[in-house]
Amino acid sequence: MATDKPPVELTRGDVMGAFWRWTFFSHSNYNYERLQGTAFAHMMTPVIRRLYTDPEEIKAALRRHLVFFNTEPNVGSVIHGAVIAMEEQRANGADIDDDGINSVKSGLMGPLAGVGDTITQGTIIPILLSIGIGMAQAGNILGPILYFVLMMIIMTGLTYFMFIQGYTRGRTGVTEILRSGLMDRVITGAGVLGNIVLGALTAQFVAIYIAPSIYINELRFNFQETLDDVMPGLVPLLFTILTWWLLAKKGVNPILLLVVYLLIALVGAVPFFGPAGQCGSSIFNAFYACPPPEASSFLVR
Amino acid sequence: MLGAMNEAPARVKLALAVSLATFAVMLVAGPVLGQDGSGGDTGVSLFQAILVGLGYYLSNSPWLVGNGAFFGIYRPLVAGFLVGIILGDPVEGAKIGAAINILYLGFISAGGSIPADPSVAGWVGTALAMGGGLDANSAIALGVAVGTLGTFVFFTRMSVDATFAHWADARAEEGDIGGVARMNVIPPQIFLFIISFIPATVAVYLGAPVVENAINWLGTNAPWVLHGLQIAGGILPAIGIAMNMKFIFRGSVIPYFFLGYIMAVASGGGLNILMIGIIGVALSFLHVTLLGNGSGPSGRQAAGGGAATSVGTTASAEGM
Repeated sequence: MATDKPPVELTRGDVMGAFWRWTFFSHSNYNYERLQGTAFAHMMTPVIRRLYTDPEEIKAALRRHLVFFNTEPNVGSVIHGAVIAMEEQRANGADIDDDGINSVKSGLMGPLAGVGDTITQGTIIPILLSIGIGMAQAGNILGPILYFVLMMIIMTGLTYFMFIQGYTRGRTGVTEILRSGLMDRVITGAGVLGNIVLGALTAQFVAIYIAPSIYINELRFNFQETLDDVMPGLVPLLFTILTWWLLAKKGVNPILLLVVYLLIALVGAVPFFGPAGQCGSSIFNAFYACPPPEASSFLVR
Repeated sequence: MLGAMNEAPARVKLALAVSLATFAVMLVAGPVLGQDGSGGDTGVSLFQAILVGLGYYLSNSPWLVGNGAFFGIYRPLVAGFLVGIILGDPVEGAKIGAAINILYLGFISAGGSIPADPSVAGWVGTALAMGGGLDANSAIALGVAVGTLGTFVFFTRMSVDATFAHWADARAEEGDIGGVARMNVIPPQIFLFIISFIPATVAVYLGAPVVENAINWLGTNAPWVLHGLQIAGGILPAIGIAMNMKFIFRGSVIPYFFLGYIMAVASGGGLNILMIGIIGVALSFLHVTLLGNGSGPSGRQAAGGGAATSVGTTASAEGM
């Protein structure tokens, strides 16, 4: 490659232009064939425009970045920064061929998708959402607003940080980060936090109330009260673990599970304990007033 | 996956035909039903339905708000609040959106696939629930149904958009930098607008009276169904949480799930989720510092390490 040309340097505007193009158009043309491929090329357009003047080089650069690409768009933007740095070096005569750039993209996009999804969709977003949901359910419209503002600050800041880290450290820097075990520690740490919050969310949002009571003479045994004596909230906990086991270990389709759970809820609402139409309860809901039981009766209501 | 490329032109025609037919139906059916008094008199006017449809389209595309799309207005919490503003009751909208969002707490879109469409559940689900007079807990089940149907938009778009990648290829062969950028934005966004805005608008405008009538009928004839919907509001969130657990409930960090649960139950609401989150941050620092990183949720670490090593080898071979 021509080493006699004057060096071309990207301006801050070029790099930021690439960053904002990625932020706003990463999933504009999301598709089964290339996933974020065209978005990556779109992101590179200010860089290509600055670095290359020869039409053949421009075509080659566009082709190079239109290939299949898919990663987590926020944490994964470290790849974009590194690739921009590589293109800049290449345009200035460094010995970097298409394979070198492709191997960085395809080599990093998988691991960073895993790391990124765990950190953003798996931890940050559920935590922020649960704070917002908790407030909104109490009728406070600051819930969605606070969620949106916090999310924008954290996610945009995170994306910018990763993007610029990638650009300033280059691919060696990114590789070092991946090899140093820092990412493993981040994932483990995110796993601790994520699990604690999920556990708390289970307690807050999963609600099952087993309504019927058994009467033996005048002694009343209510299922829910008996279970609460064992441990309050035992049923939702076991039920959530069961759901996880079905989804993760048994590979049950979540949509099928949705339908089944909806049917369980509906069946659980049918009032078939006690005289129909007068009083009684269903499995999950006590909604008809019942008179006190007669002596020596064995009833389930 | 690659098969989608060859089928794409036929799919474009089919999808366009379906969208145009839907549009024609809306043009004809809207005024006719409106005359009967069964459309538009439930508190959802055509204009309001159009705003909801527009919001749903924007949530699928980050061009207006960047991260505020997929992480923002795509989430039922935010979408419900905005629908509430459109329909004139932000508080009720936020409550319904929040309830629907519980189911999608664990929503993760990975590898070009989505298990459901939280956005349509938030936008259309909230609008239908408010138009039909459903309370927040019962709205969860409605949101689930709508959200499952909504994946159609995502998969249609993922198939058809492959065509525009080839249009971008053609621009690249011309050396047309701006053309590649335009192909990433204009055709796919026009297509997305057609397949997301029109169905959502129609569903809200024509669906709200249907939902309202159904709720009224059930309230008189089978009230237990409405109780069942409320019960579902307590059961279905387990699925949303379990979907998230699939990713992080493994390895040495499993005990923390139970710790979080016990903290919330034992404090009886005294510790809110933010406080528990702060305890969680402290514990995650302790865990990582004291125990190292050897045994976290390690599903992808092996792959990550391997790839990093191979990239490193390439880099050193090239004398970087």
